[in-house]
Amino acid sequence: MQIVIIGSGVAGVSFAEKYRALSADDDITLVTREDDGYYSRPLLSRGFSKADIEQSIILKPFDKLRENNIDVLCGAEVTAIDRAGKSIALNGSWSHRFPTDCDTSAIPSSRQEKTLQYDKLILAQGSSAFIPPPFRPYEKLFFCLNSLVDLKALRKFRQGFLSQDRHPDWAIVGGGLIGCEVASDLAAAGDKVTLFHAMDRLMERQLAAEDSALLLKVLQDSGVKVLLNQAVQGFIKEENKVCVRTEVTAEFDGLIIACGFKPRTELAELAGLEIGRGIKVNQCLQTSDESIYALGDVAELPNGKLYAFILPIRNQALWLAEFLAGQKQEGWIPPVFTTKAKVHGFEAVHPYNV
Amino acid sequence: MPDYKKYQCGVCGHIYDEAEGDPDTGIAPGTLWEDIPDEWRCPECGAEKSEYDLMA
Repeated sequence: MQIVIIGSGVAGVSFAEKYRALSADDDITLVTREDDGYYSRPLLSRGFSKADIEQSIILKPFDKLRENNIDVLCGAEVTAIDRAGKSIALNGSWSHRFPTDCDTSAIPSSRQEKTLQYDKLILAQGSSAFIPPPFRPYEKLFFCLNSLVDLKALRKFRQGFLSQDRHPDWAIVGGGLIGCEVASDLAAAGDKVTLFHAMDRLMERQLAAEDSALLLKVLQDSGVKVLLNQAVQGFIKEENKVCVRTEVTAEFDGLIIACGFKPRTELAELAGLEIGRGIKVNQCLQTSDESIYALGDVAELPNGKLYAFILPIRNQALWLAEFLAGQKQEGWIPPVFTTKAKVHGFEAVHPYNV
Repeated sequence: MPDYKKYQCGVCGHIYDEAEGDPDTGIAPGTLWEDIPDEWRCPECGAEKSEYDLMA
């Protein structure tokens, strides 16, 4: 059997490894746009306070997976799913098996195209940063922090200031989980941070009001300037600065948009799969096409939920591998889990709303 | 029998239970938290040992 997985985050990699452990004979190919290996997405939120993060964030180089008889095509973008022909089309400048990992400098820059046949296709592309429509025209003025590529770009930008013996002055738009974590980590690394949030309290979706107030205090004590009830209207480029427009205009060195995530459903939608907020799946993580499964951030369960935390995602991945290997008959049951904002010095009193 | 404790990763929520250890990363059942090497990292998200907190 040919198993093809799209995505090399915790969902795709955990599934691939578990399935390989259960079934020695099937072919497993993992296709990913990433080049750096399998890395820890939660650790992106520690991306500034830890000096060695660009190496320590890598949990496994792709060659480790290849040694485990999982074929990995990295730097590859899937352009279409042909459901009738049971194949996917991809495009990219990937390296083949067993080069010295995915060192893109060693690969000819010519792009290749390829089709891959599948018996079972596993969609695990995760999510991209959600950019509110009014901000989209300003794309060149801001950063996001959703991937290791994003983190490297941010760190490089920041290093430009540090090498001139100064710390950048940041604006972060969005006081949800990621915005608060990034604000906290930049402040811990010694930068000046102003956090703009549209609502009247921080992380209002996950935290009880009392904990939002506590979080506000922790962030303020760490030096973050928190502005609530802010209607950010847009941005203006001014020489070396970027300005944030609310009722007033304030200028900063760098701007980060942290307004949540958007599941990467485009490919599934093009292929005519049933889509809601995510790719709709049944309790067995099967999409509206019986040969295609989805898990992780992209999968929307029958209860309308998308499980975007490591613990339930890994649980889905292990379960799906067992299910496809014939070891599970009953559907996936969400495990009990909690989460925690990675804000330095913050401990919530009440459980998070996950 | 010792009174085993549980520790939780502050980055991803993984729980280390001393009674169960973590055989996949070479930590035998019954290994106490303080006996786990400092370079051990969370098996699920790669966070360092210092990111874990004792669970109440």
